[in-house]
Amino acid sequence: MAEPGSTDGPVTCVGCGLLCDDVTIERSGNGIRLQPPCGLGAEWFSARAGRSARAPAATVGGQPADIETALARATELLRAARRPMLHGFDAATVEDARAAVALADRLGALVAIDGVTGAWPGAPAVPLRGAATATLGEIRDRSQLVVVWREDPETTHPRLLDRLGFGAGSSSRLGGERTLLVVDERDTATAGRADLRLRWARERDLEALTGLHALQRRLALRGTELVVELGGLLERINAVRHATFVHGPGLTAGAGGQRRLLALHELVRALCHDRHVVTLALPGAAGTRGAQDVLSWQSGYSGNVDFGTGHPELVTATRPLAAGEGVDVSLRIEGAPADPLAGIPEISLGSLPAPAAAVSIRTAAPGVHAAGTAHRLDGVPLALQAPLPGDAPTAAALLTRLLGEFAP
Amino acid sequence: MTAIRITGGRIHDPANDVDGEIREICIQDGKVVDEVGPDARRIDARGMVVMPGGVDIHAHIAGPAVNAARRLSPDERRDHPMDRTEVLRSGTGGLVPSTFATGYRYSLLGYTTVVEAAAPPLAARHVLAELRDTPMIDKAFLILMGNNQVLFELIRESGGGVSARLRDAIAWWLQATGGYGVKLVNPGGVELWKQSNGNVDSLDDDVAGFGVTPRQVLEAIGGAVDELGLPHPVHIHANNLGAPGNADTTLDTMRTLAGRQAHFAHLQFHSYGGKPGGGLGGSVSRAPELVDYLNDHPELTADIGQVMFGPAVTMTADAYVSALLRDLDGGKWISHDTEVETGCGIVPYRYRAGNYVHALQWGIGLELFLLARDPWQVMLSTDHPNGGSFLSYPKLIRLLMDRAFREDQMGRANQRAIRRTALPDGLDREYTLNEIAIITRAAPARRLGLRDKGHLGIGADADVTIYHDRADREDMFSTPRYVIKGGELAVEDGDLRRADDGLLLSSRAGFDPDVSRVLEPLFGARYTVAFEHYPVRDPALREPARIVEAVRK
Repeated sequence: MAEPGSTDGPVTCVGCGLLCDDVTIERSGNGIRLQPPCGLGAEWFSARAGRSARAPAATVGGQPADIETALARATELLRAARRPMLHGFDAATVEDARAAVALADRLGALVAIDGVTGAWPGAPAVPLRGAATATLGEIRDRSQLVVVWREDPETTHPRLLDRLGFGAGSSSRLGGERTLLVVDERDTATAGRADLRLRWARERDLEALTGLHALQRRLALRGTELVVELGGLLERINAVRHATFVHGPGLTAGAGGQRRLLALHELVRALCHDRHVVTLALPGAAGTRGAQDVLSWQSGYSGNVDFGTGHPELVTATRPLAAGEGVDVSLRIEGAPADPLAGIPEISLGSLPAPAAAVSIRTAAPGVHAAGTAHRLDGVPLALQAPLPGDAPTAAALLTRLLGEFAP
Repeated sequence: MTAIRITGGRIHDPANDVDGEIREICIQDGKVVDEVGPDARRIDARGMVVMPGGVDIHAHIAGPAVNAARRLSPDERRDHPMDRTEVLRSGTGGLVPSTFATGYRYSLLGYTTVVEAAAPPLAARHVLAELRDTPMIDKAFLILMGNNQVLFELIRESGGGVSARLRDAIAWWLQATGGYGVKLVNPGGVELWKQSNGNVDSLDDDVAGFGVTPRQVLEAIGGAVDELGLPHPVHIHANNLGAPGNADTTLDTMRTLAGRQAHFAHLQFHSYGGKPGGGLGGSVSRAPELVDYLNDHPELTADIGQVMFGPAVTMTADAYVSALLRDLDGGKWISHDTEVETGCGIVPYRYRAGNYVHALQWGIGLELFLLARDPWQVMLSTDHPNGGSFLSYPKLIRLLMDRAFREDQMGRANQRAIRRTALPDGLDREYTLNEIAIITRAAPARRLGLRDKGHLGIGADADVTIYHDRADREDMFSTPRYVIKGGELAVEDGDLRRADDGLLLSSRAGFDPDVSRVLEPLFGARYTVAFEHYPVRDPALREPARIVEAVRK
């Protein structure tokens, strides 16, 4: 698709971790619209459509440059680095991530997927106890109760509730007998769609989760004012055969995030004895899940991995990584627009401008100008298409070129 | 490509009736050939044993379940780092190694072909990408179809039998995913688990909401695979895995498939007597009955799924069983439900010699190996990593080849359990090198329909493993002197010499393309991915590949 007034689809949208693959693009004089409508997705496509004609292929020190010059400068920076860090991955494809981890291995670099921003403290909860999860279709067709815990998917993953079978024309095989319950004291768009709401301050989430677990074990609750709310919630859960908890950075970000996530998984595990209960995590970006998966299979670890010793070592992050790790060059791969890390030269390989980077090379936007693979937030791998023509290389191709510069 | 002449070695090539003869093997352009020129590299294999490269018919090495297991146990791999070298990628080992480490370690063990035995078709892209990052070995994967709601619909439509539509759908699915064969895991039971933590007890239980029974699923899909003439027959993880008394279910499953080709996975886990619904502590061995049945039915084969004392990671699409292990163990647990197709459960585990149940499982596995009349019907596996790592294969080989060692190990295990097996009853069989060559390469290759593998005849793939002939068979099989993969020297003296991508092995059966019209509306009603995006078409994931054509009956 290239011409105004034309449509193309279905294609997979990389606007968020939902990776809706039923999207038709309508291009008009005013920009791009998607069917089914999604503001976030339209913004994703619009920000990248036609950019190839306007943006320089690369910049070095903020000045336009050709790709070869930019790659040469990037090679110099990486060669001089003692501790390079590869990060970003917000819109990275699996192919990008595979090439990135290969380069990190060769360079002895740090790979930070969770560590720079996002839900960094929550990630270690799964290795401690595990988790029960399911794909979207399982939740849509089986969960009679969906609890959204302090997230606002209507804003961050706009079609999530519809894809889980809530709303007009529900596609759930369960029909209408389903409840959407939102735990959040904020009046979010998601809370506005809830059948039921529970409101307490975020600071009380750990108390609520452990309290619910205690109630489930028929222990008396003491020292909490949430007895009524928790009792009601447990009653709701006990009334169904299948339930889901949707969670994300609202639960896991910041101090204590690991404990809160652990408490959720312990609760779900306990509830699973009498009914089927699963969780669904909302990642911060479309490329996060795929990058995590690639890092796991190539290194054996997920999250943040240091190849500096010649083999992968898990870096347990208790705070954002870059500041205290002695990183001296940052290689940002398909990252969301952001300022470079303070005082650290940045090489940016991405589909949007990075004017402050020491080296920036424009890439073919995944799912817009470049095909590939991405992993949906529930782990389902999906094909990305390239509905718009483009002339830029993929991040994977650039990373492979850089790898060639460091051949042993 | 390299030309190689292997001289002086004792050849064990049971597929070609060669049992320890000293012969030359010549290699050129990746194949075993009649003769090579004088410039060929010469490998002096005097005092050594030469076999085809190992073929693992049932292991779990790639895909979302394997990757989830990696995430679940970083502590388990911390002590097993693998450094990068000039030719090799870094990684981590342990029970669930990283992809590169998996390929390297299989190669170092003399294995050149491995089958990932349980891939959700919906996750084919993920499986393929991991396999692309698993070097040194050729690899195939089996797709999970025993709890597929779309196939349930087609089976119900056909009244429980094989239909042309079902055949076409299975062939379509293999084409869409790049899979090699069809795997059934606890047919019908996993669907009930996902509905409400349920399971089936017998082959005639109703799979609620679908109007089919496990027996119908077995007959229809097993029959369809048989009629399609896929290179590998239906690969079955029977119902009631691990349950006391499950030997009845296993025998019923075998009888259901009587007369059709079928492969039974990890038979050890399906060979228990005892009271159905009772505690595992009441289990006893019924391996002899199952072996008798196998002995009388050459159309059936099995891999054993031996448990080895020590750490393991249970990893199965049979999520109901995983939940039982969760409660037994109390430790880490992952469960993941994949829409329309399957479930998955993961629990790190440890088999203890002093534990009655674990010792019984260990003994039953050995019984199956030692009682089987025809080694072509029983293939070596630990259901890696469920019964233990593939790295324990050399020890298992020693248990089979060395009676004194086996008896020593029996003496360390729970005696009440050992007494409930046939092991103490004069079961003094010792496998020969030729029999080991059968159960580790010739039989798996033949059962997989890989005509170029598992033997050293002219035209075979030049996948060759050369071992020092040592009395300590564990030592011998742990460190091959040479491993040749695709005609190139891959391992020499325990060191990897080169990195090779390996091939993807896929199968192909013809089908009526109109089956898409049948499948598309069924997909639309059940999946959350678009029908047109489901097939994997990306050459970077599907190539380099070897396609093995089905031979329609």
